[in-house]
Amino acid sequence: MEDRRITLSSSSQQLQVISLKKLTRHFPSERGLITAVDNVSMRTFAGEVYGLLGPNGAGKTTTLRMLLGLLPPTSGEVEIMGTRVSDDPLRIRSFVGLVSASAGLYQWLTPLEILKYFATGYAMTKSEAAHRIEELTALMGLSSFLHRRTATLSTGQKQRVNLARALVHDPPVVLLDEPTRGLDVVGSQVVFDFVATLRGAGKAVIVCTHQLDEAQRLCDRFGLLHRGRLRHEGTMAELQQQTGLPSLVEIFLQILGRSNVLPSEVRS
Amino acid sequence: MNEQTDRRNAEQNGLRISLWRQQWVFTWKELCETLRDRRTTVTLIVMPVLLYPLLGIMFRFVAVGEVSKQTPEYRIALETEQEASWLSSLIQSGHEMLQHASQPSAGNGKDSAAEAKIQFLVPNDGAEFDLEETTAEGTADLGIRVTFSDRQIGEGFPGADVEFFEVENSPLSHDAAHYVRQRMIATNLMTATNTIRGSGQQFDLPVRDSTRWVKPLNQTSAILGLLPLVLLLMTVTGGVYPAIDLTAGERERDTLETLMALPVSRVRLLMAKFIAVLTVTMLTGLMNILAMAATVYALQMETTLFGESGLSISLIVRLLSVLLVFSTFYSAVLLLVTSSARSFKEAQALLIPLMLMTIAPGLVIMLPDWRLEGWLTVVPVVNILLMARELLEETLTTVPAMIAIASTLLYAGAALSLAARLFGTDAVLTGSRAGWRDFFRRPVEVSAVPSSAVGISVLAILFPLHFLASGFLARVSGTDFSLRLMISSLLTVSLFAGLPVLMMRWLRISWKSGASLNRVPIRIWPGIVLIGLSAWPWIYEMIIGMQTIGFHSLNKTQINQVQELLKAWRDVPVALLVFSLGILPGVCEELFFRGFLLSSLRVEMKAAAAVVVSAVCFGIFHVVLAGGAAPERCLPSTIMGLLLGWVTWRCRSVIPAMVLHGIHNSTLLLIASSHQKFANLAVGGLQQTHLPATWLTISAVILGVGFTWTAVATRTRTGSRILIQSSQG
Repeated sequence: MEDRRITLSSSSQQLQVISLKKLTRHFPSERGLITAVDNVSMRTFAGEVYGLLGPNGAGKTTTLRMLLGLLPPTSGEVEIMGTRVSDDPLRIRSFVGLVSASAGLYQWLTPLEILKYFATGYAMTKSEAAHRIEELTALMGLSSFLHRRTATLSTGQKQRVNLARALVHDPPVVLLDEPTRGLDVVGSQVVFDFVATLRGAGKAVIVCTHQLDEAQRLCDRFGLLHRGRLRHEGTMAELQQQTGLPSLVEIFLQILGRSNVLPSEVRS
Repeated sequence: MNEQTDRRNAEQNGLRISLWRQQWVFTWKELCETLRDRRTTVTLIVMPVLLYPLLGIMFRFVAVGEVSKQTPEYRIALETEQEASWLSSLIQSGHEMLQHASQPSAGNGKDSAAEAKIQFLVPNDGAEFDLEETTAEGTADLGIRVTFSDRQIGEGFPGADVEFFEVENSPLSHDAAHYVRQRMIATNLMTATNTIRGSGQQFDLPVRDSTRWVKPLNQTSAILGLLPLVLLLMTVTGGVYPAIDLTAGERERDTLETLMALPVSRVRLLMAKFIAVLTVTMLTGLMNILAMAATVYALQMETTLFGESGLSISLIVRLLSVLLVFSTFYSAVLLLVTSSARSFKEAQALLIPLMLMTIAPGLVIMLPDWRLEGWLTVVPVVNILLMARELLEETLTTVPAMIAIASTLLYAGAALSLAARLFGTDAVLTGSRAGWRDFFRRPVEVSAVPSSAVGISVLAILFPLHFLASGFLARVSGTDFSLRLMISSLLTVSLFAGLPVLMMRWLRISWKSGASLNRVPIRIWPGIVLIGLSAWPWIYEMIIGMQTIGFHSLNKTQINQVQELLKAWRDVPVALLVFSLGILPGVCEELFFRGFLLSSLRVEMKAAAAVVVSAVCFGIFHVVLAGGAAPERCLPSTIMGLLLGWVTWRCRSVIPAMVLHGIHNSTLLLIASSHQKFANLAVGGLQQTHLPATWLTISAVILGVGFTWTAVATRTRTGSRILIQSSQG
């Protein structure tokens, strides 16, 4: 794990970490097959924050789940750090930290116990885990409640424990699924700072969200998903050039077609 | 394979954490989660502490009412006041006489001279009164008509003719009559004694008695019969909440997704949960036994409930081991049910029918005629309940207990591996589709080998079916022998080949790879044939050896059956015999044990472990013989299974094992049918003749050559074998 970090920080921004090749996933339903993700290809590099954007049901979560090896793709391939998910889904998972707004914590354990548990789950030794937890405690400011049952923690404190948990094995890839859902201004700011820290540490970050204004502040590059297909991809400048539209919101309105009933998040 | 990947991950990441330590941390987390939860502790401690004293008090109450009612009360109807006062005096004087004649008895105060309360019922003046009617309608327990005579008992105390009106089939009425009669006889005796002494002669009663009350040894009280059910139900209740909490609870609290994102196989995560549930269940069981022991001790009921030895340590240990088997089974079933649930509510709804299904067979053990034998030994829940009851009654025998334990553990394994398939699946995680429906849906993709879950499930279905089939076969012994052969062949083919093949077709498993029916090079065959021809003397000696150390199973009727069987063999063409009892079982059993099962076990296990597990299963299957059990066949068959497993692994194909098994069986059959004295080879248990030392030596040499040949012949194929080994790390 040590040497992996050294490679990351010493290499250029162009180190490709994640690559999706023609990723497709069907789900069976009453009316035949539904295509949740349709032929999506993209790449993410070290130290880059990639925004995977789209309204509800666009296929963001399905893509994430395939990235994690929790769901096998119908066709196509995911590759992280040169390992293909179809070859070794368990190995892929050890490269990835997952942050999800909906993720809960074990209410009868303390943050320290939770972090130790996940560290062991990622096959870290006792001393490595202790060292890493010390770092994360300082980074996320956990020290005052490290030994309290998580059921007694405030929402903000729980959120910080969750962020620390995702980083416990120091993964080269961090996936954030709707990271600011249900958080207030302060809570959201914690997430923004967190993402900035990750970028600084040379992680490849994918943020899934439908909060477009937020995404515009957070991400370096964007992939715009609609009905399972990647409609546009690029930096903000590239997107503006491609579409001739000034903001993500307007680009999305164009994709959806103005007559559609839009999710409130997109409208705002 | 998952385990291998885990280890590889750990190693490639430069981390040397042992899988055991990791598994221990997983288990510890589950234990913390569940034991810190007050709801678990309540069922664990409070329930038994409340329940057993309550049950004890109830039992006390019942026992006092039934067994040792101290002063019985009798209502005796008489026609006149005068008769009543006469009878009262008579009983009084008789009672004194009885007390005088009888020694104080040992034990409790229940003796013949115990006084009863008597209530005399006499009609009011002039009222219509019929003694017969009064006793018949139950107003009085006994009616007595006194006709005074001029015989004398004492001064101013006349004698009389006494007529009893006793109610048929009424113990109370008989007791009352007995009570009065005893005292009448005593009075007569006293009068006679006094008369003799009055005439100046010495007289003493020649016979005196005393009573010592003895407890029966095999008394099964209703409460004792219920005890296993109460104990098992209470024990598994302890596991219900943790099982829901650790599976459906993870999903409800949104911790499941992060858990599934760990680079750890679902089987291992579920195993941690299983051990946690099992631990809590066993803790509950222990608490229940302690609470029961404390209650029994406090209320002084040891001997009433558990006989002379009381609630001994050895009894507690035996009870705990039955609880362990049952808890293993039940925890696995609980996890299977709760793993498919998406919420607490759903899990609870699913568990209610499960609990009811446990209570229903519980009533079976109330029937004293039902013993742990025959097909009941393989019926889940019922077998364990019967085992627990027979354990308490101290009538449990080894072989049925072993079959019951083996089948229960098999069912547990099947339930657990199915649970691992369901736990944390996408359907459960996202709630998008029904988990169970998915589970039974035929897969769209073709796969190469059956999963371990499928393998163990088929094994669990096969075991009771095989047991029933062999029992069925034993029942049709009277019929024509060739018909029997046909039935036996049909059963063998449909069970050991039909079931796995059907399963593979349904699951779209290529049946060449699923049962590892791969081609093998010709050069291996000499080795296989040599092993097949020369293994039998050693297997034979092993059976004899097992019998020498006390594993005897066939009773006289079974031996007779076998002997008749051997006679019948002579009338059947040898080719038919060899085909239907030698080759067919060899091929079919190999298709299942070394083909289907071994391939499926290899998905989760190292080669050596998979070979051992499949061999032990093979051994257990061979214990079942003709509806009974022959435990002496277990070890030899297991060793044979190891041998066949090794061959399959070396050759990467089940075909050599099929041939080897077929040759081995056929050799045995040919020798057994041609020489009466080797009948043991075919069935076991007839004679205990050792083979000549020269035979054993020769066969050992041939066996050695066969082994070496096989090892060398498969060595050139090691390129692929080494690859597999290195991928295991």
